[in-house]
Amino acid sequence: MAEHFAEPVRQHLYSLNLGPQHPSTHGVLRILLTLDGEYIVEADPVIGYGHRGHEKMGENRTYLQFMPNTSRIDYLSGLLFNHGFCLAVEKLAGIEPPERARYIRVICAELNRISSHLLWFGTYLMDLGAFTPFLYCFDDRENILDILDRVSGSRLTYSYCRFGGVTRDIDDVFIEQTRAFVKRLRSRWKDYHNLVTKNVIFIHRTRDVGVIDKDLARRFGVTGPNLRAAGVPFDMRKVEPYEVYDRFDFQIPVGEKGDALDRYRVRLEEMEQSCRIIEQALDQLPDGPYRQERVRLKVKPPRGEVYFAFESARGLTAYYLVSDGSPYPYRCHVRVPSFGNLHCLTEVFRETLVADAISILGSIDIVVPEIDR
Amino acid sequence: MAAREEVVRRLQELLGEAALRPDEAYAQGVSWTVQAPAPSLPDVLRVFRDAGFYLESITGLDFKDTMEIVYHMNTYEPRSRMALRVLCPHDGEVPSATGLYDSALWQEREVWEFTGVRFSGHPDLRPLLLPEDMDERPLRKTFGTVHAYRKREEIYG
Repeated sequence: MAEHFAEPVRQHLYSLNLGPQHPSTHGVLRILLTLDGEYIVEADPVIGYGHRGHEKMGENRTYLQFMPNTSRIDYLSGLLFNHGFCLAVEKLAGIEPPERARYIRVICAELNRISSHLLWFGTYLMDLGAFTPFLYCFDDRENILDILDRVSGSRLTYSYCRFGGVTRDIDDVFIEQTRAFVKRLRSRWKDYHNLVTKNVIFIHRTRDVGVIDKDLARRFGVTGPNLRAAGVPFDMRKVEPYEVYDRFDFQIPVGEKGDALDRYRVRLEEMEQSCRIIEQALDQLPDGPYRQERVRLKVKPPRGEVYFAFESARGLTAYYLVSDGSPYPYRCHVRVPSFGNLHCLTEVFRETLVADAISILGSIDIVVPEIDR
Repeated sequence: MAAREEVVRRLQELLGEAALRPDEAYAQGVSWTVQAPAPSLPDVLRVFRDAGFYLESITGLDFKDTMEIVYHMNTYEPRSRMALRVLCPHDGEVPSATGLYDSALWQEREVWEFTGVRFSGHPDLRPLLLPEDMDERPLRKTFGTVHAYRKREEIYG
């Protein structure tokens, strides 16, 4: 499907609305397509349907009150956003969480990363017309949701992290369930690869489709698995190690060309790397308190600012907090990865087929509420 | 580190030594902070682009006495993020970065619709996240519930 005609004939241009209510747009996203037959001449994404004003809300509530907001910015990797916000405030206010809390957070964050990638896996293949993988991975993902539900009290929009720790300690059952899950997921890779990776229809729909190379990625600020698929080993967990990521042995999977197939491979390999991190963290898990007791509910960071970047499931995410010394942030900006990832499609969509556009849109793993904020 | 040293050297030539401030401890999440006057912005951003940096984020800050636009520039090397800060009046304009970075097309639209700072030379300055008929600037401190409206030196002084 990827072949392009050398000189497209522009005879009957017409417009097509993709979305805003379309199953393959993963949220309320509308793309105004100008088409020449089956080929896209121009694509203009229309976003903002899900704008809730998180940045403004950040200014008129305390740091802790903003915590539930963070997991609603990107609802698929809520715990990662929790975690990042917590680290940003801790850095700004000089709070040191205990060792055990750091490990608990990393374990839960990586579980959340796997659950986000699993959901992407299922929905992407559903976009391409494969229904069965969706059932397989939701079955796996359900395990993670149960594990995290037991410890944090929520299944999707977590508020598990606290400044200086987490809300609840993990117990032996959690550790047992997590180890069992990792084992189970590993046993499933074979099924996944047999079912999807070696599937000739899937390969034809993804190979050489929607190439995002290094140069394009840099121009549009693309990060995360989409950038790594182009061969740039850029992951905040390695480049600017935060929390305890520097203590684990894991790799940053990279692709070669940056096409949809590379992005698929990178994400699948990333899940395996997350499993490795979880196993090592469980092995190293220290005893001790899970929370710093002396942290006040109304954290008052000193005057100044911090720009804290971390790796969410979709790429480089950052909180830019400016404090005036009061319990309320003076400015709370969130840099979200999907913003650049989607923007880059205005270029990638040119001269591709509409059918390929669906494949490309799915392959970059966007979460629209994250872009809208 | 090469890209970062290169940018620092060229910017010191362009803006003078006093405009750049290092942060070895990375306490604010950036290695260098560059304070640049608005008219020099295209030249400064060109230095960044030529060294292989990408435009990570643009933020508008509203103070009582001034607006400030903060550009976070980064490259794919450890600890090389740099902050570029530009002051401009509340109804002012700053030169657009769209000729140098495609990502500025959307990011500047967002900053403009939320803070009211115009980017001169932007080819397509229309609302991005807000409705087309929105005439408020939501991230100005004069809009909605705010706890403090401060002068710039009260925070950075």
